[in-house]
Amino acid sequence: MIEESGKLHEKFWEIFSRQDRQKVEEFQQYMDKFAVNFNLYKDGNFIERSLPFDVVPRIIGREEFSKMQRGLEQRITALNLFLEDLYTEAKIVKDGIIPEPFIHQAKGYLKEFVGFSPSQKIRTHINGIDLVKDTKSDEWVILEDNLRVPSGASYPLSIRDTYRKIYPEFFEALKIEPIKQYSSYLRDAMNHVNTGGINVVLTPGRYNSAYYEHSYLAGQIGAELVRAAELVVENKVLYFKNYDGRRIRVGAVYRRLDDDFLDPDFFNAESLIGVPGIIEAYLAGNVAILNAVGNGVADDKGIYYFVPQMIKYYLGEEPIMHNAPTYLPYFEKDRKYVFDNIDKLVVKDVAEAGGYGVMFGHAMSKIQLEDLKTIIAANPRRFIAQELVEFYDEECLINGELSPRKADFRAYVVMGEKVNVWECGLTRYAMEAGNYLVNSSQGGGFKDTWVMEL
Amino acid sequence: MEQLLTTNVATNLYWFGRHLERVEMTLIDVMALFDIIIDGDKNAGQDYYARLEIDLAYDSASDFLDNAIFGSHPSNLAELMSNARENAIICRAHIETDAFGETIKLYELFDHASRSANRVDYEFIDSALSLINEIWGIKTRGLVRRKSDHFIRLGKLVEKVDLHVRHGKDGEELPEYLNNILQTARKIAPNAKLSIYETDEEANLDAINELIHHLVVE
Repeated sequence: MIEESGKLHEKFWEIFSRQDRQKVEEFQQYMDKFAVNFNLYKDGNFIERSLPFDVVPRIIGREEFSKMQRGLEQRITALNLFLEDLYTEAKIVKDGIIPEPFIHQAKGYLKEFVGFSPSQKIRTHINGIDLVKDTKSDEWVILEDNLRVPSGASYPLSIRDTYRKIYPEFFEALKIEPIKQYSSYLRDAMNHVNTGGINVVLTPGRYNSAYYEHSYLAGQIGAELVRAAELVVENKVLYFKNYDGRRIRVGAVYRRLDDDFLDPDFFNAESLIGVPGIIEAYLAGNVAILNAVGNGVADDKGIYYFVPQMIKYYLGEEPIMHNAPTYLPYFEKDRKYVFDNIDKLVVKDVAEAGGYGVMFGHAMSKIQLEDLKTIIAANPRRFIAQELVEFYDEECLINGELSPRKADFRAYVVMGEKVNVWECGLTRYAMEAGNYLVNSSQGGGFKDTWVMEL
Repeated sequence: MEQLLTTNVATNLYWFGRHLERVEMTLIDVMALFDIIIDGDKNAGQDYYARLEIDLAYDSASDFLDNAIFGSHPSNLAELMSNARENAIICRAHIETDAFGETIKLYELFDHASRSANRVDYEFIDSALSLINEIWGIKTRGLVRRKSDHFIRLGKLVEKVDLHVRHGKDGEELPEYLNNILQTARKIAPNAKLSIYETDEEANLDAINELIHHLVVE
């Protein structure tokens, strides 16, 4: 089913129909020039590929988006309070809102960080919240919270820049929210937690799948793009190594690598992309790391189940936005429901990301479903099950023809002195009709998202 | 505010300048040689490439263009452009968006031509040179030069000297090039020094290498 927003879409098509179709090719060429890439490793080989995109934007009405903004601001505020509480007093566990074993078995929970509070008590600086719009309720539903290293914000920035150059008519005639403020949201958040020194973006390097984004964002926010070898820790202070041999103090690191690889002295000793000693500097309060170390626990698909309860617990409010109906096989009652309805549910491995470890019950054979039940019974904490949300398709212009594709939406929320929900986001669509997996790592494409009013 | 650069970025800016200059100079020379070969001096291309220690075979002026630009030898311009693209990707935060875009376009022009069954012609060379001019033009548009610009310019000048010496060209321009290198280096490090030798070209190349090592700390 295709999402429509009535007059907003009519306005778009009215202008689009007057455009020269040659411009679509021009659009592609312009994007190619700027190497908007999402790299892949396939069969051990590095494949550099431009991220597929579609020229037809997703359009969200201003009023509808405002509700989403309020809901996401509320959610991220609660998640930040949860993480700060969990790593300090853990009242939410003591009060029995979340079972203790549930926390301790979460892969991203780092007990070594208990008692540490980061700069300004902010942990959820840059957040990517994945949503879909349910065709039944016509409401946005939250599928996942990405609070570790969410990627993708540079792609809408790039496509919007191209859009404005190739099709200025839309931006002159329509009331489309500008989006350039993302860079200042990010810069302000870094400056707010900066402990004294420059801001840097830490990249694993040129062959990382999102290197394009790392370099793009570093340029946009005026931070230095660095690899681990270009940073050094001395006396628990982090320094940037300048080309002339000078060392410049670093106050904030926007890291684009997971906790496990951040510091070979603290985490994975084999990591070649981490900075030895950076955790010591962090724990001494000498540098801010965005996002905070240990956020993986809140990213956990199992913990996601408890977010509505966190909102009530910390803020005393009802959640403005809702999760997809979710069941935890960890609880006996839920497990029974999951086993009875497994052929209709989507089962997710909580340790996986990027569209991996997602199993659609309706697409599995009876034998496969029985095997899955056995695996779940042996380790119920490892899985969640969700009702299959029938979400909207978006019109995509594929080979010159309009064709519907399932599309989700990643909203970006940046937390500094204020919580800012970006007036754009990443709309990702599946490559094949009917496919529900839209992730870039699964070959999905992206399109611009216009927050618009009449 | 002072511009900070990692050694990796400074080195890639420098090599971006070198690779792009190498592509430009080679295209200009190859076009001139193409004319000379048409006019009857069939060995002109071979002699030129022999000075780069490349044994280049061809049987016509058009064949010369193909082999000079895309032959399997260390001066293959598609490979040099691929290197320039890598340099640009690594230091793209310090290269103007348009210059970066034109670099990718130039790389794609070479990449496409190198895989095409069609022969290289003057039109391809004109297109490539136009794009290179555009990139250099963008680099000189701003009123303020930053250290990143000086590193690119340094690479450009060093490549010019390197090719000049390799081809044993008349030494008249060399002192001026060397002086330009020193002036550019001093914009990066005011105390930079460069020994200039009037007759020993190899010594000049060694002195340039020493200067670069002094500027960029590994």
